[in-house]
Amino acid sequence: MLVLVLGDLHIPHRVSSLPAKFKKLLVPGRIQHILCTGNLCTKESYDYLKTLASDVHVVRGDFDETNYPEQKVVTVGQFRIGLCHGHQVVPWGDPAALSLIARQLDADILISGHTHRFEAFEAESRFFINPGSATGAYSALDQDITPSFVLMDIQSSTVVTYVYQLVGDEVKVERIEYKKTN
Amino acid sequence: MAAYKASPNHPIHPTQQRLYSTPSLSDRLQEFDRILSQDVVDLKALRRLCFTGAPEEGGRRALCWKLLLNYLPLDTNQWDETLRKKRAQYQHFVEEMVVEPARLSKNGSGNNHVDDHPLNPNPDSQWGSFFKDNEVLAQIDKDVRRLCPDIMFFQRGTNYPCRLIVDDQDVERLSHRVTHSSLTASSVTRKGLGITKMESVSRRSTTTEDYHPLSPGSEAHWEVVERILFIYAKLNPGQSYVQGMNEIIGPIYYTFASDPNEAFREMAEADCFWCFISLMGEIRDFFIRTLDESESGIGAMMNRLMANLRQHDHQLWDRLRVQELKPQFFSFRWLTLLLSQEFDLPDVIRVWDSLFADTDRFSYLIQVCTAMMVTQRDVMMENDFAGNMKILQHYPPGDIQVLLSKATELVESNGEAGIGTEASS
Repeated sequence: MLVLVLGDLHIPHRVSSLPAKFKKLLVPGRIQHILCTGNLCTKESYDYLKTLASDVHVVRGDFDETNYPEQKVVTVGQFRIGLCHGHQVVPWGDPAALSLIARQLDADILISGHTHRFEAFEAESRFFINPGSATGAYSALDQDITPSFVLMDIQSSTVVTYVYQLVGDEVKVERIEYKKTN
Repeated sequence: MAAYKASPNHPIHPTQQRLYSTPSLSDRLQEFDRILSQDVVDLKALRRLCFTGAPEEGGRRALCWKLLLNYLPLDTNQWDETLRKKRAQYQHFVEEMVVEPARLSKNGSGNNHVDDHPLNPNPDSQWGSFFKDNEVLAQIDKDVRRLCPDIMFFQRGTNYPCRLIVDDQDVERLSHRVTHSSLTASSVTRKGLGITKMESVSRRSTTTEDYHPLSPGSEAHWEVVERILFIYAKLNPGQSYVQGMNEIIGPIYYTFASDPNEAFREMAEADCFWCFISLMGEIRDFFIRTLDESESGIGAMMNRLMANLRQHDHQLWDRLRVQELKPQFFSFRWLTLLLSQEFDLPDVIRVWDSLFADTDRFSYLIQVCTAMMVTQRDVMMENDFAGNMKILQHYPPGDIQVLLSKATELVESNGEAGIGTEASS
């Protein structure tokens, strides 16, 4: 099952739109589910995601106009996936702090955003993903952001994560495999 | 469903008498057994027998269809070998086209740069063709989920599911690939240091539908049919899948999958696939729009039908012409789907016995269609356009045997040697 993970779009406040190269890749009919880490900011961005997939789950970022839930837990096959924007987690993007949230939600995979930096690591037999900012919008701490998003292919007990990054003018794709251990 | 035999209440018409020349069912069964047990099956005799209906008992009908559709050779000594080869080949198709793509994402391992990925816009990409297949599959899926809704058969589980697929959790089922589902999600809310509340969003469960995929380890009949049609579409990229093929495969699959002979019933899927291919080879042109007006296309068939009606019942033909009731309005479906939509399934299967026994397929089909109109002529001569359309599009239920006798009568009045007569004269 393919699940698209993206967030921190900040349209139109910081960026006007998604990079054209990403838009070209994101065609309807391929993805069924979207998990969004928030900061879509406007309803128009949400509507755009709806055109890509019918099943869209969003959590609230600190700049969202719409009142999305603070955190969400989604179940895909054997995996419990926790979803949280991440501005509530201090220090921002800190592994120990994120680990706490993952334990609270009893999540096998925790998806968070806010730092605008792609990140993927395993800790305490849980998998942590930050898809970064799909538009490459600047963050509170950084101007120079590489636009990125993540696509997860979830099977019964394995997750294959494809990482899409726009480096220069080229889309680079990487693949990370995670197996549930217990 | 009982095999057709002469009903004593029926007034015996001269033609019917010939049709029912074999008096009892047991005699007929013996006659079938005699022909089917020869070293080389006498095709002419088999055709003559099947023309008046093949008995279901002991799986004789399914066996006859396999012979008439050229799946089994006439030499009975070659049967085992042919079946083994063909079934193995089908198994290979399943592995290559259904099982392998489902394992696609497992190709390659570890963390690395990849050439192919799910969003690859390149048409040569494996993922690209995977999604392209899904477009065809979505159409097939829609159609097989409404296969013969009036009987409770296709919704039920088969005793012989494809083990490769149902037992391996990593192999995604075809129907899952195109089903739109929603993930189970719950929102988490926490007020200050208070308790954490998980609110699950309940959604409509798909398992309440009639045609839902069964649990792991089993598989419904419609899922099997979906797989056959999908493999057919993959093997024939030029034609792919066209709506209506599901109605052609339905009766064949039903006959094979309810074969009383267990050894055959077990392999119904593979056998059905090959018989479907063989039958489609003969009626393929009906399903190709660009050939509609060609000699073998559906347009020519409709013209043949109307010419035949004109010859046998000029008044009725004239009436349809005056009413501007064009053959496209009703006979398009009759002919392309071999009448599978006009009658109940047992009757369809009985009609197909005769159609398959026809040496010159499908001239007998034309005669049956003509007979359908001629037997309703008294009503149709009175009715207006709308009334006649209703009769032709929703053909009134009646005794199928009467209709077939009429059709045979038409064949004979044409001066052609009928299938029933050719061997006996």
